[in-house]
Amino acid sequence: MTTEMNDKQRLMLESAKAFATERLDGVAAELDHSGIFPKSLVSAMAGDGMMGILLPEASGGSDLGFATYVAVIQALSGTCPAVASILNQHALTASIIAQWGNEDQKSRILPAMAKGDSLGSFAVSESGPAIGVGPDALIARRQGKKFLLKGSKAFVRNAGVADLYLVFATLAEPVGAKGLAAFIVQAGTAGMTVGPSLETMGLNGCPVAHITFDDAAVNEESVLHDLSAGAAIAEQLLYLAAVAEGAQTVGIAQAAATHAAGYAKHRVQFHHPVAHQEAIQTMLANMATDSHLAWLGVQRAAALIDAGEPFEVEAAMVKSFLARFGSRMMIDGCQVEGGLGISESAPKGIREALPLARLFRDIAGTTLLDAPADFPEKLIAASLS
Amino acid sequence: MITLNPKQESIKRAAKEFVAQTIIPKAAAYDKSGAFHSYLLEAAKPTNIFAMAVPKEYGGLGYDSMTQALVLEEWGYGCAAMGTTLSASILSMESVLIAGNEDQKRRYFAPMLRGEIGAFGLTEPGAGSDVGAGSTTAKKIGNEYVLNGAKCWITNATFASVHLVFAQTDPSQGSKGLSAFIVEKGTPGFSLGDVEHKLGLRSSNTAFYAMKDMRIPAANLLGREGDGMKIAMKTLDTARPAIGALAVGVAQRALDECVAYLHGRFPGKPYPGQSLQFQLADMRIQVHAARQVVQDIMLLRDARQPFSIESAMTKTFCTDTAMQISAQAVRLTGSYGYTSELGKFMRDSKIMQIYEGTNQIQRLVIARAVLAPAPAVPQALKAGE
Repeated sequence: MTTEMNDKQRLMLESAKAFATERLDGVAAELDHSGIFPKSLVSAMAGDGMMGILLPEASGGSDLGFATYVAVIQALSGTCPAVASILNQHALTASIIAQWGNEDQKSRILPAMAKGDSLGSFAVSESGPAIGVGPDALIARRQGKKFLLKGSKAFVRNAGVADLYLVFATLAEPVGAKGLAAFIVQAGTAGMTVGPSLETMGLNGCPVAHITFDDAAVNEESVLHDLSAGAAIAEQLLYLAAVAEGAQTVGIAQAAATHAAGYAKHRVQFHHPVAHQEAIQTMLANMATDSHLAWLGVQRAAALIDAGEPFEVEAAMVKSFLARFGSRMMIDGCQVEGGLGISESAPKGIREALPLARLFRDIAGTTLLDAPADFPEKLIAASLS
Repeated sequence: MITLNPKQESIKRAAKEFVAQTIIPKAAAYDKSGAFHSYLLEAAKPTNIFAMAVPKEYGGLGYDSMTQALVLEEWGYGCAAMGTTLSASILSMESVLIAGNEDQKRRYFAPMLRGEIGAFGLTEPGAGSDVGAGSTTAKKIGNEYVLNGAKCWITNATFASVHLVFAQTDPSQGSKGLSAFIVEKGTPGFSLGDVEHKLGLRSSNTAFYAMKDMRIPAANLLGREGDGMKIAMKTLDTARPAIGALAVGVAQRALDECVAYLHGRFPGKPYPGQSLQFQLADMRIQVHAARQVVQDIMLLRDARQPFSIESAMTKTFCTDTAMQISAQAVRLTGSYGYTSELGKFMRDSKIMQIYEGTNQIQRLVIARAVLAPAPAVPQALKAGE
C-alpha cells in the first residue's frame, strides 16, 4: 500500500534527513539539557518548508501528504525527537484547520502556519476521567456573539510558545447530543493563562504546560466547522497524532538499534566484540524487527490517510503495538551498551556523546496512553466483524 | 507468604518509618540535583543501618539476610539511589566477610560502625562483564603492594572510607591472577576522576578513579594472591539478592503511585475498565512473585544452603519486573506519569538490569545450570517410544 515518492516528496525527505544530521545531531544533547524551546531550529525547519508539508498549496503549503510527513518525522526523531514533537503539534493543528476550517479561517490562518510564522498547538486533554467531566473541565458559554471559556486544559505541548491553539471545550448548552466544540484561540487572548512549563522525563525543548481559562472571550468566527463538530475533530486529531507519534517512536528505536549495533561491534569482552554473542544479536534483531513492523503499520495508515480512506483502526493498531513494544526497544537498546547506555554525559576519552539514555527518556513520551480508559484496543476489537 | 518474626516485623516497621520521614521527602530533589548528599549518611547514623550486615561480634547490627532484604525493599520503595548507596557499601564488605582475616574485618567494618560507607572496585573500562580482562596491576615490593590502573562506574567511590579493589598480581594468568585488596581513603596515589551523570540512581555516587604507584601494606591482601576472581564471584553471588530486594521496592512504589493517580483520575469509579484492571492485576502478580523470590533466597542464605543460581534468578527476575512495571506505570498514567516522579522509577530500574552483573550474564549462569546435568526425562516422552 505504500506509494512511491515523487521528486518533490523525495527532496523534502532528503532535506529533512540532512537537517537531522547537520543541524539536530550536534545540539540534541544540549537541547535536552537546557530544555529551552529551540526557536532558531524551528525557524530553520520552516525555512526548509517542513511546517507546511500537510497544507494545500493554496494555503502556502507543499501538500506532500501524510506518507512524506511521517517519513520526515521518522528522520528527525532519529537525532532529536523533541523537535519532532514540536513539529507534530504544529503540523497536525494546521492540517486539522485545513480540513475543517471555512474559507475565511483558512485564508486568515494557514499561510502564516505554512511559513512557520505562526506556530500551532492543540489542547485536548483534561485532568478529569473524560473531557468535560472533571471539576476543571473547560466549558464554553455563549454570550451574544461570543463564547466565554472557563476551566483548564492539561499537558498542552508547545504551550507558551505557540501563536495559536486549537482548544476543545464542552458547550454549556449542547447542540443536540453533541457537546464538544473546537475553538481557534490566539495566544495572548485575555483570560487565558499558560501555566509554568512542567518538568518532563524527556522530549525536553518541547514545552508542556497546563492552560487555564478564566472567562476568556472568543468570537463566533473562531469556532472550527460548527458547534457540533468538536468530538469528530478531536477523534480525528488523536488518531492522526497516533500515527505521527508512531513515526517518532519508530525513528527513535531505529536510531537506537543502529547506535547499539555500532557499539556492540566495537566493544570487546571475552576476547570478541559483544556483537558476536547470540544474545546481543537477538536483542538487536528484535529491536530492528519490532521497529520495522511498526513502520509498516505507520506507512499503511499514512497511505490510507492520503487516499482519504478510513485509517482509524490502523492508527489504533500502531498505538497499541507501540504501547507494548516501544519502550521495550529502548530498554534493550540501553542494555546492549551497558554502563555507557545509561550515561547522560560521555565519560572523558571513551566515546562521543551517547544518545541512548536520552532516547530512553524520549521514547517513554511518545508511547503514552493519555486516556487509559479509552484504550485503542476497543476500536480494533469493534472493527472485527 | 513467609511469616516474619516479631523482631523482623519491628525492624521492617522502623525502616518504613525512616524511609517515609527521611528518604521520600528528599528523593525527588536529590534526583534532580544529581549529586550525592551526605544528608543521608548523617540521618542514618543514629540507626546504625550501614552496619546492618556487620556481624554482632564486630559491633554491627548483625541482621540476618531476610531482615536485610526487608530493610532494602523499604529503601528501594523510598529511593533506589539511596538504597544503592546502602547496598553497594554492603557489597564491598561482603568480600571481607567472605575472605578477610580478623584484623581485616575489624579494620574494614570500623567505618561502617561509624555510619560511613565502602566501595567495591571491580569494573574497569575494558572489563565489564568480562571481569578477568582488567588491567589494574598489583606488584609486591617488600612488605607492600604497588597498584597501578583505573576503575570505572564505582558506586560510592568519591565518599567511601574504605575500598575493595581488585587487581592483577599475575597478569599472565588472566582471571586466575586476580587478587583483592583493602584500600583506605586518603592513600597516596589514589585519585578520583569524573563523577558520572546517569540516567537514573542519580543521587547515588558513581565515579572513576585512578591508582598511580599506590602503595598499600601487604596485610591488605584478602586471602591469597590469585583468590580475587573467586572472592569477586562469591561476593556478587551473596550481594545480588540485595538488588532484587531494592527492585521489589521500586516496582511496588511504581504500582502504588500509578494506582493513586488512577484513583484521583477516576473518582467514584473504582473500576476503570477491564483492560486497565487486568494490567494492574498483572502488575500486582509480578511484584508479589518478585518479593517471594527474594524471600526464598534469603531463607536459603540464612539456612546456609547453596544459593548461587537462585541469586542470579532473583536479580534478573526482580530487576526485569521493576523495569517492566515502572515503564507500564508511566505509560498508563500518560502525560501525568511523564511529568511526575514516576519517570524516576523507570530511569532507576534501567540501571538495575545492568549493574552488579548484567541480566545477560545472569542468564548465562542460569542456562549453564539448566543444561547441566541433563534433566531426567520421563520414559514415555523419549523419542521413538
